[in-house]
Parts: sequence; structure tokens; C-alpha cells
Amino acid sequence: MIDEIVIEKLFYKGAEASLFYGHWFGKEVIFKLRSPKNYRIEQLDKKIRVLRTLNEARALIKVKNYGVNVPQVYEIDTESSTIVMKYIKGEKLKDFMNSIEDDKKQQIFNEIGKYVAILHKNGHIHGDLTTSNILITPIQEIFIIDFGLHNYSDSIEDKSVDLHLFKRVLLSSHGTDYKICFDAFLEGYRTEYAKAKVNESKEIIRNMTTIETRGRYIKKEDRK
Amino acid sequence: MKIKKVLGIESTAHTWSVGIIGFDGTVFSLVNDMYIPEKGGLHPALVKEQHLNNFMNIINQALLEASISIHDIDLIAFSKSPGLGPILKIGAQAARMLTQLLDIPIVAVNHCIAHIEIGRLMCKIEDPLTLYVSGGNTIVSAYESGRYQIFGETLDIPIGNLIDSFARDVGLPHPGGPKIEKLAFKSNKYLSLPYVVKGMDLSFSGLYTAAKRLLESKDYNKKYNLNDVAYSLQETAFAMLTEVTERALAHTEKKEVLLTGGVAANKRLQEMIKYISAEHGTRFEVVPLKYSGDNGAMIGWTGLLRYEAEGGHTVLETQINPKERMDQITIPWRD
Repeated sequence: MIDEIVIEKLFYKGAEASLFYGHWFGKEVIFKLRSPKNYRIEQLDKKIRVLRTLNEARALIKVKNYGVNVPQVYEIDTESSTIVMKYIKGEKLKDFMNSIEDDKKQQIFNEIGKYVAILHKNGHIHGDLTTSNILITPIQEIFIIDFGLHNYSDSIEDKSVDLHLFKRVLLSSHGTDYKICFDAFLEGYRTEYAKAKVNESKEIIRNMTTIETRGRYIKKEDRK
Repeated sequence: MKIKKVLGIESTAHTWSVGIIGFDGTVFSLVNDMYIPEKGGLHPALVKEQHLNNFMNIINQALLEASISIHDIDLIAFSKSPGLGPILKIGAQAARMLTQLLDIPIVAVNHCIAHIEIGRLMCKIEDPLTLYVSGGNTIVSAYESGRYQIFGETLDIPIGNLIDSFARDVGLPHPGGPKIEKLAFKSNKYLSLPYVVKGMDLSFSGLYTAAKRLLESKDYNKKYNLNDVAYSLQETAFAMLTEVTERALAHTEKKEVLLTGGVAANKRLQEMIKYISAEHGTRFEVVPLKYSGDNGAMIGWTGLLRYEAEGGHTVLETQINPKERMDQITIPWRD
């Protein structure tokens, strides 16, 4: 039986978890292991790891039902804080962006906006939308990954914060592409959201700009 | 004109500091005058009063320690942002007075950028991811596309403010950081407190309220004591800081980590950041105490960097800006 589960190699070492590539009953999988963080005390560490593992696995399972591309979950083990999930062959959006033209970027960000709107409409907050947490497969499907900071909420505020964090990542890491990408993203978001609630997306986007003005050290004149 | 010596003035909050620094980074003198409140926090009007009374003395003392005359100074630099308005003004006024009196160029400097630049100089570090933690700021920053970009920051109160406010609530005088560190050292009993990380941003206000509630609870001094609360507060807040720093490190893929600001003096925080740096195979440096807190040398050094890259500012360009963000400013001296 034990031969059915084979961890072959370290695939990626992130800030919070290590991803191992391997096989699970004949399937190509990723073992996402939240290993203990020895910098923080055991009690706090255990709490955070178990909570985020359960949280992520539940979110992945639920979100998939709405038609958002996320890796399928096969097994979870809270003791070792591990999620076994389908291996997605793809490139991080962060790296992919350097190799494509503007109109392609717009198309991709438009679709990402659509996906995020689907999440939000159904009360799911990703919590850590970055260009490292979005995968593009060779046939250019978009996968959203890393739901460790996911939470459930229907509040405008939480949804706005989610958008705000994504905007900040675009600004700091992809400054030159920021405008076309984020505009396309919002366009996709708005269109998809409007299918359910016409006015709510407007309110969320408006509130996002309010959040920015709460930011530290923003001059009054620069508040848009 | 080749600049030999810069006089840097730091005045954003409680510290009025004057540093004299050479073109090669030699610090000739650094004199600090820190406002210490008798009770409560920093009252801008009282801080302003102290700085106004002392500013020329401190400048003179810095010149004396460097054994030079004011006429040996080639450039004036001062902190124009961010900080408390009334206090920034004194620095700006003193600097404008000196530039006109001595007929030498003037440069206005962003305080947060100065913290990173003096850290790069003192730790001989090239391109770090910086965790800047103080009473007024909590920022995770790295250089990217011509600016010091902010990857993570507090969404409400800064970490130093959290610790100082908590210390004040339990009757410990300013500065509370070192005292809380000592209390925390005596405990290893962890009490659960809110841990709030949003992407690479942090929120400390809920943590502050929860810690305060622990002090007001009927179990206080029965089931747990002040040491335990101080310990839990530090462990939670620093774990949050370390987590976002590690996230930013994984995201930016920098090869060096720099820890600076007043809270950088905390040994527990140093230990935690050092740990994640080692895990990612990156070099870790803490800015020496003398230069990690607010100081005039960092302002002088950053002023020099800007002057050499694009010349001085006109007096009109030296207006203070209490709310300027570091990521609004271009950095012509790098790349």
C-alpha cells in the first residue's frame, strides 16, 4: 500500500509551505506540506498550520464547484499539515508576464477578474491574490492556487481588501504593466459580478479606493 | 562641487539628531537629543518646544565633536517626510537657515529611505529586503523598478506604537520596548491572541485590544501575570512580522535581509528574522543600534547620495510633507 504514495522531489519551497512532487495511487500530485516554523513557538505554530491546512483544503473543494480552476484535493492530513492535490503543469503568472504581448496580458487579467468575481459572489475571499499565486498552463488555462489565507465573507470591506492587495502587488512588482492589467482585471470582475448583483461590484470597487486613502502617508491631493 | 562633509538633521518625531558624515561614509559625529515624556505619549507641541530650545546647541555639539567649523560643511540635508508636522518644520527651518547663511546647497530627504540607505552603508549590503520597524512605521520594502517599493505594511498602528502603548497601559515609562522585552523574557506561557496577516500586510490594533483585555480580566494575576501577557504579545506580533517578511522574501527573491528601526534592537525579533533568512539561504544583517534608530547621519548620507545623483533642491522644493510615502520617490542613485 505504502508504495502507492511516492514523494519524488522538492518542487518548490515557498514562504509558508514546501511543495513536493510525487505520485498518489497512480496520479501525478503535489504534496503541500506546511512544515513547522521554528521561529515561532510551538503552540502558535501548530494552531496556524492546522487552521490554514483545513481552511485551504475546504476552500479548494468548495470553490471548484463554482467552476473556478483550482487543483483538486485528494487527501488531507492535519497531523503533518499536508494537502495532497492534483499536479498542475504551469508557469507562475509572475514569470509568464514577461514573455507575452499587451493584448494577451489584458485577456488573461480580464479572465482573472472574472474568476475573482465568481469567488466573491459566492462569499469566498482568497486573502492572498498575487501574481505568484496564479498559474498559466501550456494551453493557457488559468489556475488560482494557495488558499491558505482564504476566508468566508460577504462583506464589501473584505472583498475590497482582496482587490486592494492584488492591486498593490501589481503596482510593486509589475509597475509598467500595472495600468493595462488592472483595468482589464476590473473590467472582467465588474462584468462577471454584474451577472448576479449589478450594484455590488461598483460598491466594492469604490470602497477599494476608500481603503487606499486609509493607507499610511497618503497625501490628500493624491487621494483619487 | 565635490562634497566633503554633509550635515544631516533628523527631526521627524521625538529625536532631534545631527550627524556629520563624509563623502566616503565616514561619520565624524552624531549627537542625539531625545524627548522623553514624563507621562503619556509624544505631544507634538511639547516635543517641538524642546527641539526649538535645543536645536542650535546640538548642531554646535556635533561640530565640536567632529572638530570642525560650520564653514567646513558643504551640504545640508534634513528630514522632510514623513513625521509630525510641527516637528518636521523645525528641521526644515534650521536647514533653510543654514543653507542661506552659509550659501551651500540643501537636500530634503525622506526619513524611511534614509533608514534603508544608512543600513546599506553600515552593513555593507547591496540590495536587501528591508524590514523597517519603529514607533511610527512598519514596512517591508525592497528596491524594484527605480523605487523602494512597499510590499507589506501595517494597515493600522505600527509595531512600536503597539508595544509602547501597551507598556504605557501597564505603567511603564517611555520607551517601553526594552522593558516589555525584559518582562517577556521571564515567561514561556503563551496566551492565545489574534494573529492578523492579510497578504503581506499586517494589522495590530485587534492584538492591542485583546492584550489589554487580558489585563482587565479577572484571571489576571491569578492564572497568568504581566510577564505572560508581554510574552504572548511579543510572540504573536513578531511571528506576524516574520511571516510577512518571509512572504516578501519568497516573492522578491532578494539575497539579503536587513532589519532596521527602533524595534530592530529587540533580540527576539532579530532571532526570528535571522532564522527565516538562514532558511532561505539569504544574508541577514541588523543595523547597529546607533544607526537603526532615528539619527542625523542617515539623513546626511541619503542627502549626499541624492546630491551626487541629481544636485540639490531649491528652497522652494524643501517644503515638508508629513504624509509622503517612500514608494512615491524615485531613487536616481541606484542602477
